Amino acid sequence: MELLKQAYLLLRKDLRLELRRRDSLLTMFFFGTLLLFVFHFSFDVAPDKMAEMAPALLWLAFLFTGTLGLAQLFQSERENHCLDALLLSPLDRGALFLAKSGFNLLLMTAVELVVMPLFWILFNLSSWNLLPQLFLVTLLGTVGFCVLGTIMSAITLRARARELLLPLVLFPLMVPVLLATIRCMETILRTGSFGDGAPWLRLLLGFDVIFLTLGVLLFDWVIEG
Amino acid sequence: MRLTVNKLAKAYGFLWALKDLDLDLPPGSFLALLGPNGAGKTTLLKLLAGLVTPTAGTIELDGKPSNGNDPGWRAQIGFLAPADHLYENLTVEENLRFFSALYKRNGSASAIGQALEAIGLAPRAGELVSNLSSGMKCRLSIAKWQLLQPGLLLLDEPYGVLDGKGVDLLESFLQAHSAHGNLVVMASHHVSRALKLCNRAVILHQGRLSFDEAKQQPWPSFARAFGDFLPQGESWSS
Repeated sequence: MELLKQAYLLLRKDLRLELRRRDSLLTMFFFGTLLLFVFHFSFDVAPDKMAEMAPALLWLAFLFTGTLGLAQLFQSERENHCLDALLLSPLDRGALFLAKSGFNLLLMTAVELVVMPLFWILFNLSSWNLLPQLFLVTLLGTVGFCVLGTIMSAITLRARARELLLPLVLFPLMVPVLLATIRCMETILRTGSFGDGAPWLRLLLGFDVIFLTLGVLLFDWVIEG
Repeated sequence: MRLTVNKLAKAYGFLWALKDLDLDLPPGSFLALLGPNGAGKTTLLKLLAGLVTPTAGTIELDGKPSNGNDPGWRAQIGFLAPADHLYENLTVEENLRFFSALYKRNGSASAIGQALEAIGLAPRAGELVSNLSSGMKCRLSIAKWQLLQPGLLLLDEPYGVLDGKGVDLLESFLQAHSAHGNLVVMASHHVSRALKLCNRAVILHQGRLSFDEAKQQPWPSFARAFGDFLPQGESWSS
């Protein structure tokens, strides 16, 4: 309970800072939208191929946009050595992990809520009724991205070329999440239900639970390493 | 609260920043940590704060060995780094409220108001910290640790950016803090100010303790030990 209280305290502080500066959210939003327009003008996808292409294109946009957010994740802690202030305090490091993952999840979800409908409009898709199911799968994928991304962001925090290093260490580890999310979304777009995508959904859930637990337990070691 | 340090050492690669350091500070001790640049003062403060892991040796608070993983241990230690450890884009009041909640101290509007009144920042409570001068940020750090009341307070060069009134505020806070049985360890190059406040002084030189004595009046042994670090042509009167 104390862990959640501390995580809420940190999350509230991060949200307040973001609302004042708005640099992460605006950057992510504009970059995500920009990528959609680039895809729109670059690909001429046949309507029958859309079920295969749409999830991959969407997640390509989310992956790059999310990485931008992750690169900024500890920005407020880097200023004035505030990370030291947090590490000095009686704060549970697991709470810091939960707060940072939650913060990035909120930012990415906000971007996804805009980018997904925009994608449907730009690519002239008719399956609007499937958006809630697709969004649910995207949310599970985003949780996986955020928990793993927060761990990697903390690992590369003190590295000199951390902006370059972060995608290099994160993207290979993201393969199971990407595969499971894209396959699951593809099944929904083809069949209109989860159907064959259930094993991918279980993989996604398993990934989220495992890395969320690992993050809470190991963040102490990760952030001080 | 009692601080005991045994054979403490810290190496960065092949370089020993600190070696074989022993200290025993009984409750109410005010230690002036002196020495030239690169002597290991900041390293010692960071080791005591748990921000750096020692290569060898132990640190104990009230007989309990240091454990950076224990939030209870960390709650007892404060580190006053002037103008640091504050969120620039939170207001003065929000910073104090945030850290009070983190340390589970009284962060009520009246407690924060009183702390800000004491340091002369009450009219600027709603301003972002980024709008404050370095001296004001340092005053805010003083208010922060006044609210958090750590058993062991570490200070790294606190005088640098403070004006005369700020220095008075800092010194009266530190004196009151140690008078309540808390420990204060202050690294500073302002030797006369540090000596005025402390009840014990140590001099570090190249990572080793070259002098460690309780304060005396007069203090010829300190004058002899400290003479080595004075600029050419200057002398130190005890």
